[in-house]
Amino acid sequence: MTRAMRESAARLAPLVLLVALVIAVACAATFAPIILQRRVTQALIMLVSVVGLYVFAGNSGVFSFGNVGFMAIAAYVSALLTMAPGQKSVFLPELPKLLAEQHWPGPTGALAGGATAAVIGALAGFPLMRLSGISASIATFSILVVVYVGLGNWTSVTGGQNSLMGLPNYVGLWTAAIWAVGAIAIAFAYQESRGGLLLRASREDEVAARAAGVDIVRHRWMAFTLSAFLSGVSGVLLAHFLGTVRVETYYLDLTFLIIAMLVIGGAGSLTGAVVGALTISLLTELLREAEVGFSIGGTHFAAPAGLGDSALALLMLIIILYRPKGIAGGREIGFPSRTVSVAGRNDVPPPDISSNHELE
Amino acid sequence: MREAAQVLVDAVSVGGLYALTALGIGMIFGVMRLVNFAHADLITFAGYAILMFFAQSTMLAIVAAVIAAIVLALITERTAFRPLRGANPETLLVSSFAVSFFLEKTLIMVVGGRPKGVDFLPGLARQVDVAGVRLQLLHLVTIAISLALLAGTTWILRATRLGLEMRAAAENFRMAEALGVRANRVIAAAFAISGLLAAAVACMIVAQTGLVQPRMGLQLVVIAFVGTVIGGLGSLPGAAIGGFLVGVASILLQALLPEALRPFREAFVFVAVALVLIVRPLGLFPSRSLRQRI
Amino acid sequence: MSSASEVVLRVEDLTIRYGSLTAVKDATFEVGPGEIVAIIGPNGAGKSSFLSAIAAIAPKTRGRVEICGRSTDGVPRSEIVRLGAALVPEGRQIFTTLSVIENLKLGATIRRDEEIASDLEAVFVEFPVLAERRRQMAGLLSGGEQQMLAIGRALMSRPRLIMLDEPSLGLAPMAIARVYDKLTAIRSRGVAILVAEQNAARAFAVADRVLIMSHGRFSLSGRPDEVRAHRDFDGAYFGVVMGGVSR
Repeated sequence: MTRAMRESAARLAPLVLLVALVIAVACAATFAPIILQRRVTQALIMLVSVVGLYVFAGNSGVFSFGNVGFMAIAAYVSALLTMAPGQKSVFLPELPKLLAEQHWPGPTGALAGGATAAVIGALAGFPLMRLSGISASIATFSILVVVYVGLGNWTSVTGGQNSLMGLPNYVGLWTAAIWAVGAIAIAFAYQESRGGLLLRASREDEVAARAAGVDIVRHRWMAFTLSAFLSGVSGVLLAHFLGTVRVETYYLDLTFLIIAMLVIGGAGSLTGAVVGALTISLLTELLREAEVGFSIGGTHFAAPAGLGDSALALLMLIIILYRPKGIAGGREIGFPSRTVSVAGRNDVPPPDISSNHELE
Repeated sequence: MREAAQVLVDAVSVGGLYALTALGIGMIFGVMRLVNFAHADLITFAGYAILMFFAQSTMLAIVAAVIAAIVLALITERTAFRPLRGANPETLLVSSFAVSFFLEKTLIMVVGGRPKGVDFLPGLARQVDVAGVRLQLLHLVTIAISLALLAGTTWILRATRLGLEMRAAAENFRMAEALGVRANRVIAAAFAISGLLAAAVACMIVAQTGLVQPRMGLQLVVIAFVGTVIGGLGSLPGAAIGGFLVGVASILLQALLPEALRPFREAFVFVAVALVLIVRPLGLFPSRSLRQRI
Repeated sequence: MSSASEVVLRVEDLTIRYGSLTAVKDATFEVGPGEIVAIIGPNGAGKSSFLSAIAAIAPKTRGRVEICGRSTDGVPRSEIVRLGAALVPEGRQIFTTLSVIENLKLGATIRRDEEIASDLEAVFVEFPVLAERRRQMAGLLSGGEQQMLAIGRALMSRPRLIMLDEPSLGLAPMAIARVYDKLTAIRSRGVAILVAEQNAARAFAVADRVLIMSHGRFSLSGRPDEVRAHRDFDGAYFGVVMGGVSR
């Protein structure tokens, strides 16, 4: 192997390793009982969602609290397009005829859902990307709320607060795995692309990047749109896995879950997103078992309901306090010496009184 | 004409609540660069304190709400946010999200997730005649209390030594410390004041809706967030005004939108917010101390 | 325990390292009351790090700092001024969103006595330009006026020691002259003054002692006329040692 080939191989290592991990997980689950398979499928769907969030948050350093809104939008779009017209007339009698007649195959509906989410993401993101990081984060909350309230009230099209049932259940273990692999590949391609690299540079030092001529706003916007697409796809997968769509599913609890997954896994790298999704899925599974409890003799031991959620929040806080870069530490798997984010620079000039607001 | 006055009073009273909430959030952001999502839980816990005591005595319930909110604020500061001082605002925001989630879920574990009815301040649930127009007394009281608290907070900030220290710390924390301003004191004060504001908001919300539920603070805070962004992060008057405007806008839209579009008024508010932000990304009253280096 | 002749600032073997970079090495000296001591050196010599470490804004790696006989070990930033040392930092760092008088009052924030108001008036007498603008936003002042404000603010804490980091930076020559006149006046009241300066001329003119700092070390020290006459002066300032050792 020439040196150039070795370097290319090294650069591709994270992609290969992460894909291998997903495939390994899916393979292992194939031999597991059905219940476990369903849990793993859900974990892989969450993986797509977290990767979607990472594409924006990880590369730009700006957290978005609105991605679950994109999940909802895409889920409903896909549901409306892929549900059998007969089902639709039962749940949504007032649905406009054009929509009521559509009966698309699953994957097409999924792409349509993702595309719709991407378009809305582009539109909503446009005014937000010029905001400073923290203002943009806060503003993304409104995306979540607007989608939640809007979809929840648009009774004729979405059924309002009620569940929409009868979606084609085409998302099984391997469908989810394939989409997970695809999401990882897309995210990796983006972060290695010129746009992704420039955006990450701006994350480290915005002023320097601007001085170098990087159009931060435009790159953030592109990342946001791509992120909306991937999140949208995850929403579609979730809906067609559960077989139902309900507005309530796509609100604060899910938002917290994917953010927790990303933060705990490590928001600075794709590996962090993947690792976070898988570990927290495992953890929540264990906590759920604890809440169900077990019986010894005649006594039943169970954790109080809601303990799992509190525990997850506590874990997230502990990680932020003691290992803020998350499990993956900002690094990609397969890159032992290369850090994606700036870790402990020793040559940073001393803090002095003119660096305004540093409290430490 | 009468209806317009009623809608206006309603809008101003809601605006007042959002202004108080945004002010509480802005105050902590000023001294710590923390956008405190857990402010929602200060409101919620104050609400549940009212639930515990309203049957015995109104006064007791109000006092309990104030104590609950302030104590919770100080506890979260001491345990969750103090170790994070100096972290960047993004990290702080995400942490406050986690703190909020933790508090909410723990509350649900303890008292359950269902809304509970509270007949608080029933005496205010009537109409009064003002210059020939029948107005909700509760709205008028809300406006009065909001104004009083805004005035009181302004007085603390402008006329007391503590307020001076807080304003200085908000502009340049390091320099303030070099002059002897103690970080713990100033930050604890900001949290305490925000707790007080949250308790007041809780009282009025409970009186208006007659309910407490684990998410009661959330709606307010999410919208107040948007208000602070429009007003300009880092500016306290900006936060209050921004919160006020968003509150007023949501009520006015409710009244002005045609029936079919009313459920989507949040979307319209968002569009309006987006337009403001396109024209003024730093907000209407950007804080000078937050200006970019270049 | 405290006598009038007690040393106001004592620094022993102060070393400040940032990772692999040594900003200050084994610095040792003293400042007594009513003295102006100037640390002169080019940019990057370590002057700012030095003052920052004394003011506990930056951590020191090794060494001892005593203000009015009390060690600064473990003393947090906000307590240094309570030991008697006030800082006028580089760039003035006045609070632009506060008024002039508010800036001054802030300087007295550690005090709880009854004489704050009279001290305020004294500052206005000393700096008439501040009196004129007392209610204006401090951000509207000119560079020279801001420097006066920063000094006045430092005085409000009734310090035994005032430390100034590059007070002439960004100021017009006349403003610089006024600043140094003020420093002389302050010295005559018994306050010790430590100035870090790139602008050697002014500092030489008023200082009782100068220390030349270069690459983190004090290469020459003594009275201004002695130092200026020393044959290694240029080398000491620019860090190039000519022939022999520069001591």
